[in-house]
Amino acid sequence: MSDINPALETFSQEVDELLTAMEEALLGLEAMPDDADCINSIFRAMHTIKGSSGLFGFDDVVAFTHEVETVLDQVRNGERTIDAELIAVLLACQDHTARIIQHVLCNENEPLPEELQQQGQALIVQLTGELTVTGGMPSTQQEKTGHFEVDANTTDSRDNWVISLTFKQNALRNGMDPLSFIRYLQTLGKIIEVIITMPTIPRIEDMNPEDCYLNFKIAFNSSTDKKTIEDVFEFAEDDCNIHILPPNSRQEHYLLLLANLPEDQVKRLGEMLVEIGALTEKEVVNILNEQHDNNNNDDEPKPLGEMLIAKNILQQPIIEQALKKQEAVKQKINKESNYIRVDAAKLGYLINLVGELVISGAAMRLMVDKHGLSDVDDVASTMSHLVEDIRDTALQLRMVQIGETFMRFQRVVHDVSKELGKQIQLQITGGESELDKTVVEKINDPLTHLVRNSLDHGIETPAVRLQAGKPEKGTIQLNAYHDSGRIVIQVSDDGQGLDPEKIVAKAIAKGLIKPDQALSNSEIYNLIFEPGLSTKEEANNLSGRGVGMDVVRRNIESLRGSVSVDSELGLGTTVTIHLPLTLAIIDGFMVEAQKERYIIPLSMVEECVEMSADEWQIDDVQHYVNLRGQILPYLRLGDFFHKNKKHTPVQRESLVVVRFGEAKAGFVVDELHGENQTVIKPLGKLFENLNGIGGATVLGSGDVALILDVQGLIQHAKKRVNPTLALSSAI
Amino acid sequence: MAKTIMIVDDSASMRQVVTIALKGAGYEVIEASDGKDALSKLTGVKIHLIVSDINMPVMDGITFVKEVKQLDHYKFTPIIMLTTEMEPEKKLAAKEAGAKAWVTKPFQPPILLAAIAKLVLP
Amino acid sequence: MTAKAKKNDGTLCVSIKDDMTIYNAASLKETLLGYCQPGTHELQLDLSAVTEIDSAGLQLLLLLKTEAQQRGFTLRLLRHSEAVIEVFELLKLSMYFGDPIVIPANWKKS
Repeated sequence: MSDINPALETFSQEVDELLTAMEEALLGLEAMPDDADCINSIFRAMHTIKGSSGLFGFDDVVAFTHEVETVLDQVRNGERTIDAELIAVLLACQDHTARIIQHVLCNENEPLPEELQQQGQALIVQLTGELTVTGGMPSTQQEKTGHFEVDANTTDSRDNWVISLTFKQNALRNGMDPLSFIRYLQTLGKIIEVIITMPTIPRIEDMNPEDCYLNFKIAFNSSTDKKTIEDVFEFAEDDCNIHILPPNSRQEHYLLLLANLPEDQVKRLGEMLVEIGALTEKEVVNILNEQHDNNNNDDEPKPLGEMLIAKNILQQPIIEQALKKQEAVKQKINKESNYIRVDAAKLGYLINLVGELVISGAAMRLMVDKHGLSDVDDVASTMSHLVEDIRDTALQLRMVQIGETFMRFQRVVHDVSKELGKQIQLQITGGESELDKTVVEKINDPLTHLVRNSLDHGIETPAVRLQAGKPEKGTIQLNAYHDSGRIVIQVSDDGQGLDPEKIVAKAIAKGLIKPDQALSNSEIYNLIFEPGLSTKEEANNLSGRGVGMDVVRRNIESLRGSVSVDSELGLGTTVTIHLPLTLAIIDGFMVEAQKERYIIPLSMVEECVEMSADEWQIDDVQHYVNLRGQILPYLRLGDFFHKNKKHTPVQRESLVVVRFGEAKAGFVVDELHGENQTVIKPLGKLFENLNGIGGATVLGSGDVALILDVQGLIQHAKKRVNPTLALSSAI
Repeated sequence: MAKTIMIVDDSASMRQVVTIALKGAGYEVIEASDGKDALSKLTGVKIHLIVSDINMPVMDGITFVKEVKQLDHYKFTPIIMLTTEMEPEKKLAAKEAGAKAWVTKPFQPPILLAAIAKLVLP
Repeated sequence: MTAKAKKNDGTLCVSIKDDMTIYNAASLKETLLGYCQPGTHELQLDLSAVTEIDSAGLQLLLLLKTEAQQRGFTLRLLRHSEAVIEVFELLKLSMYFGDPIVIPANWKKS
């Protein structure tokens, strides 16, 4: 024994440390009853002491700590709540553990004194509460054995494993004594109840005492897994039929595991159940063999699930859940297989070709018209329609819903609001609106910036909000909808709004506007998109270094979109983004001025009217007309693009009224050519900054037509108009 | 009352390790170096379980098991065969002969102890 | 292997002087069957000398209990030995047999 004395010293020290830690954690729990770290530390103390005591054979310590550990495991798994009463009992258990260890260390191999035994029992009764009922047991036994009888009627019997053992005739002759296995089973948990049946027993005269007639049904309480229980009867497999029905608490465990099974491939029912531990491989092999045998009888083979329930191997809910899961995975995989992954580059190439096809179609149309081939006309018309359909379908291929992009912000809002100590919810509407994938990819950055702006500058802290009479929880809304061939994305919050005075002061300080400049609120708000303007004094790590909003605008404009902001001080801010659905093809409206052809995106054309000097009160100096009582700035395209060319008046000019967002203007042109499908060919780098031009296209005739940047031109037109007159054209 | 285990193996070191482990667990141990040696020791003493190797000189394990099954006082004793993964057919033969339990070599003492405990607790 | 003492009132008191295992199950069965005779009102089994009992032995006791009910006499188990108590406890059988189990003062779990 001397050689283990040093180890015993280590053990003694270890126990001291563990029990101290346990005490600390218990006291900590009084303050925070749900602290998982504390509960774990208490559990660990008991668990480790139990383990080490087992090594040294201190069975009394193991027995006691095991009971405490079991209770703590329940607490840890949330099956039992910890309260002041339980903490008090656990503190007493800690003391008791210290005492019995002290005893076994000093008096090796001596049984525990009566007093300690009774104390331990009393504590276990307190710990396990209602579990300790004596049933019909003689009282002498209960007091002296330190053993607990648990009455099956008062225990929640659903929470036990039910092990059915049907022994075969020769089991005893083979040395497979059922009692041995049951004894061993007892080392893994608590036997709650045993029902012994002898269904095939003959009269005592005919009975062969060496045959085994015994069948057992055992209610067994243990936290071990099915495989371990099955392994107890490993050697009896030839001499015994074994059924192990998991307890109901296991069922929930299995259901949870089922729900968490990966959904990457369809698995067979048996495989799934083995994977979660509800079935053992042996059980599957047996049941499949049986299914196979039945099949040989020419009967319809019974489904595995039905057999498992009929044979009482697993409860119905688990089978149902597993089948549901299987079905769900099947469907998911089917759904996935309905999609084909396509290289985005191939798709891009296709769309390019469709663009060329559209141009060729237009060329053919032109030829047909030119040569007046009436019989070809019908065919050409049909083909035009087909080409149009192909174009739409091809573009549809690249359309994705914006919802997924929106959903990503849930996490951002959740994390950032926590970090800032604000309460913010994100509302998403219109997630089903579709737009081109290339646009979606590029919109992510600007959106992130806008959302973070709202999080950081927009929504106030809960205290400030309550003071302002608003709900404690702020709301940020992401909304998307289609509007005249474009998609509109709005980021709005119900925060503090923009302060016009601050913006003006800042803008003046930065030299963006003159102090005496009169601006509408909307114009003031939109100053925040100017470079170098930030309304927040202090920049933080999220947003608002004053470089943000102008970058947002630049990003969006590079997508041929626009951004504007509206706000009400104290009530909130809404940023509205207009974007084209696609970057590839637009329906255009072709006009001609000074022998040059221009394309106006059709969606922006409001109306075309004849430019009649009598009717429209044309102000040639200020460049506005009175359109049905409305002041409309106008621009002569011919003059604008050919500044040096002398304007040769045409007899009948036309006014094309265009609209961008809220702003309107008129373009004066010489001729209207009507609708035209236009494939946008981006201009080279060299021409990127050309005023008023957004791109170019090749016409059916082979000529190049310029696509107008309507937004830029409207602004240009407005600038030339006296601001005081431009009542209707605020951006 | 302590339970008695008989260990039959021709390797002395093997017997030694197993004996230490078994005695440590609270069993009584009777050692034998082969089947014949073992049979000579089965003379009335109470034995609760036999652990036997298969490959042994003089009398191999399977023959030994068959002999044990003929002995009135020992025929119902549970027998654990020490088998190897390499010889599945020998495991089957041992089962046929009446040794229904087995432990695969090589093993750590706790594995053997667990197998024994399922059949006979100390 | 057994010693019996018959009382006048039809009570038979039998002491089992051996293990109750598969090795002697056959002879034990014959002996016990011999006691299930008409005229026996109560069969008392003294189990104090049973140092070992296995499933075969237990099976006999269970069978005897059934037999007693069928034949209309009382089976009473007396002075359970440690080995018997251990098995009864394991299988929660004390209730079934219904006989008081007296634990000796020096009884220790082995």
